[in-house]
Amino acid sequence: MSTQATEAAPAAGASDVTFSVRNLWKIFGKKADTIIGTELERADRDRIKEETGCTVAVRDVSFDVRPGEIFVVMGLSGSGKSTLIRCLTRLIEPTSGSVRLDGEDIEQASDQRLRELRRHKMAMVFQHFGLLPTRKIIDNVAYGLEVRGMPRPERYARAQEMIDMVGLNGYEYARPGELSGGMQQRVGLARALAVDPQALLFDEPFSALDPLIRRDMQNEVVRLQRELNKTAVFITHDLQEALKLGDRIAIMRDGELVQVGTPEEVVGRPANAYVADFTSDVARTTVLTARWLVRDAYPEERTDGPTTEPGTVLAEVLPMLAASTAPVRVVEGDTLLGYVGRDDVLRAIAEDQLEGADQVAAIVEETVEEIPDEAIDHGGATPTGDGG
Amino acid sequence: MATVTEPTGSTAVGTATSGRTGGWLRSSAAQALLVFVVLVAGYWVTRLMGEPSWAGGFPTGPGDRFMAWLDQVYAWIVANRNDSPLFLYFFNYISVGLGSAVVLINQALDFLTWAGVTALGLFTAWRVAGWRVALLVLATFAVFALTGLWTESMTTLALIITSVFIALLFGLPLGILAGRSEMFYRGLRPVLDFMQIMPAFAYLLPFVLLFGIGNPAAAVVTAVYALPPVVRITALAIREVPQGAIEATTSLGSTPWQMLTKVQLPMAKRTILLGVNQTIMLAVSMVVIASVIGAGGLGDAIYQALAKVNVGQAFQAGLAIVMLAIAMDRVTGAVGHGTRTPNIPERYRMPLSAAGLAVIILVTAIGRLFGLGAWPRDLSIDIATPVNIAYEWVQSVIGAYTAALATWTLNWILSPLDLLLSGSPWWLVVIAATALGWIFAGVRVAIVSAVSFLVIGLLGVWDNAMDTLSQVLVASLVTIALGVVIGVLMSRNDVLAAILRPVLDAMQTLPPFVYLIPAVALFGIGRIPALVAALIFALPPVIRLVNDGIRGVATGSVEAAVSQGSTKWQLLTKVELPMARGSLLLAVNQGIILVLSMVVMGALVGAGALGNDVVVGLAQNQLGLGLAAGLAIVCLGLFLDRVTQGRRAPRA
Repeated sequence: MSTQATEAAPAAGASDVTFSVRNLWKIFGKKADTIIGTELERADRDRIKEETGCTVAVRDVSFDVRPGEIFVVMGLSGSGKSTLIRCLTRLIEPTSGSVRLDGEDIEQASDQRLRELRRHKMAMVFQHFGLLPTRKIIDNVAYGLEVRGMPRPERYARAQEMIDMVGLNGYEYARPGELSGGMQQRVGLARALAVDPQALLFDEPFSALDPLIRRDMQNEVVRLQRELNKTAVFITHDLQEALKLGDRIAIMRDGELVQVGTPEEVVGRPANAYVADFTSDVARTTVLTARWLVRDAYPEERTDGPTTEPGTVLAEVLPMLAASTAPVRVVEGDTLLGYVGRDDVLRAIAEDQLEGADQVAAIVEETVEEIPDEAIDHGGATPTGDGG
Repeated sequence: MATVTEPTGSTAVGTATSGRTGGWLRSSAAQALLVFVVLVAGYWVTRLMGEPSWAGGFPTGPGDRFMAWLDQVYAWIVANRNDSPLFLYFFNYISVGLGSAVVLINQALDFLTWAGVTALGLFTAWRVAGWRVALLVLATFAVFALTGLWTESMTTLALIITSVFIALLFGLPLGILAGRSEMFYRGLRPVLDFMQIMPAFAYLLPFVLLFGIGNPAAAVVTAVYALPPVVRITALAIREVPQGAIEATTSLGSTPWQMLTKVQLPMAKRTILLGVNQTIMLAVSMVVIASVIGAGGLGDAIYQALAKVNVGQAFQAGLAIVMLAIAMDRVTGAVGHGTRTPNIPERYRMPLSAAGLAVIILVTAIGRLFGLGAWPRDLSIDIATPVNIAYEWVQSVIGAYTAALATWTLNWILSPLDLLLSGSPWWLVVIAATALGWIFAGVRVAIVSAVSFLVIGLLGVWDNAMDTLSQVLVASLVTIALGVVIGVLMSRNDVLAAILRPVLDAMQTLPPFVYLIPAVALFGIGRIPALVAALIFALPPVIRLVNDGIRGVATGSVEAAVSQGSTKWQLLTKVELPMARGSLLLAVNQGIILVLSMVVMGALVGAGALGNDVVVGLAQNQLGLGLAAGLAIVCLGLFLDRVTQGRRAPRA
């Protein structure tokens, strides 16, 4: 179970981590600093609101983002995910906690230093694009370079490169208002990439776009990620998007991280009823891979079945099982990891078919016991009482 | 005394307990009526008692002392204007500087000759606003020339340019600061609010005190008067820059200065230009009024003509100002809207501007070569004489009727009201004002009302203030009644709306000063023409607000009411007017404030009262009287504004 091992390891060293977030809190309101450290900090949001008038947006959040990965933060509106990503670049000042970028504490940075970090190390893409309607596309893309003080010929050359990269060739001298939503977001992307940042921050970048264009843009991000190997923190409320893009997914609820894990872990082993409910509509066969179900051979089991790689999703394993009665052999390079049989896949499919809160809750109780170290939402209500 | 306190007390109880109990007394209108009845009763009671000393007008002692003190201050200033360092090194420098600026711009316009000025105006108008507006500008210059008022027009133009420049010099930075700092904005807003309810006439005297009579004082007073819109709108424009753009550019590491120059100002530019347009329009109206404190130009021409009741001459100058105002509005408004600007590809813009400049220089050179200067006066068309003939004719035909109407209004409405206000015991009037403040707007406004009236008394201009107040009340009532009727009709009839809208637009761009001209033409001089001018001046915004308010009522509510079988009258009274309440209240407030500002200006056509104190104070060097009257006007404005603004928050 290699996936679990990597997940559980706390990142101690700084060099192999891009973002390191520890005990981050953001509370809005006049008495924000009086809450952390008191017994009130454990109280739920409504009680804190009632007693102090403050709103807890981000509550004691810790996570690491590794170089080159896409780290997706997913949650419904009001879960604090947009506040969280703004704390990473200090568009919103956190109430307490630390954010380190490459080992440097961003919270301690002076205004001057913070500007340097923003100009060179991280760039953000926004839900509503945040383009300047008064400027031409090329000047929008070059903005970050312009405020750095880069001379015009150089920044135009660089901006042109970025415009070509996101496929907006020919629109350099148009204005943002003349472009469609999808094209505008390409400009937003080009603008962020132009400063060649180490980390990209995406705040629900595709939520305002049509489904078809959204798919194009997701593919674009995957492509650029592969080509440029940037680290990315990606906020979304769309589970499909999270599963498609995320190397790891953090699920957020009421300001807290409920679960952090690979797409398979989130779908296959939800940390609690909330996550289970959230992921219940996902077809497991399209997310879970052979690696997830791999096991040792049963005694007297046939071991001459077809072979496959551990990254194959179950939907593609199914035809192989249909063609042979022997379980599929999962092979990574030259090593045999183990076997996946018909019963294993059937169980995964059966979980998909389950409907109704009781059954979900039953599964959850089972699974929760299996996961010792996951963050579990103790205060959260279970949906058992909903009555489907 | 008993007669007074008892009913007033019961009014108070009625207000306090309003909400659940009480019958007709709960309505504000009934309570106000009650206050009026008490006032009338108080007037008759004291009258029948033989007007005892404790029941007269406001004691004049404190006012006289105050004016004497102000006169001393003025005398000191006059005596020390050339020794006191404050004047020597500050006000006098500003004064000389501004005076020279006006003269310099005037000379520059002279240097260009009439041909060069026209070329410059035409090219600018065409470049920013298209050829239609350019034609309008051409017509404007033609009017300047053909009325024989070219020189006066250029002086007015020079004054406007100077004062707008000063207003922007201070207004833009203030607006930017207010746009970026919430605290600064909060501090500034009440000041701007106050400046905007202050009638133009009340501004004049303090500046005379500091700068003496003449163009410098006129330029400063115009700049101050025109300041609020550019500050307010710049602040608003900067605050309205979308948060998304701010966040995005912050996240890319912009410094605050880069944020201002690269993001906020470019995105706020168009809105700011609209603020500049409003500031220019206020400057146009004030520059004309400032003729009272010695500003030359077109305003002075009207001022002189009105003094001689020469309607023809006043009409000529008025026409020139009207054209100037409309042309300025169209040109500067087009810059803000950007809709009519000719669509010229970017690479031609520079060469085009250069070509335009070349043409202007060429025209100027030719003009100078031929020794042109201002448009020669003997090449003008005499409009004054035919207008005067027409005026005589109109007078002979309807003069008797207008005179009768005027006399009737004067004898049966205005004079009795004036008598009631100034003949009642002063403290009863103060109590009535306080009660009205309480009824319409709550305790705080009641206090403001009481203080305003007491201050008016202490300033020593009680009688004249009551005279002004009676004029304002009568003119406001007529304005609001007419405005609501026309506004409702306009909201019902799209054809009428289509006809009225441009007329109202044009009327709102005109400087208030020119409204005195038709009023004098119809009603001669006195209080009635002042009321008529106030009516014409205040009517357009009232009509517009009523119309917009009714048209703004949600279609859903109207459809629901119609589907349940409302008649048109029921629809209006039960749905539309109640739902348009906010607009109606604003219309009342605006109407009254505009009426006040015009009524005091009516002193120039013999309306007397506070406005006259200002004029006399200026003309006869009685600065004490003038300043006291100016302050009293401010107090009246404050009272009328606060009472009609009503409660900020609806009753719980």
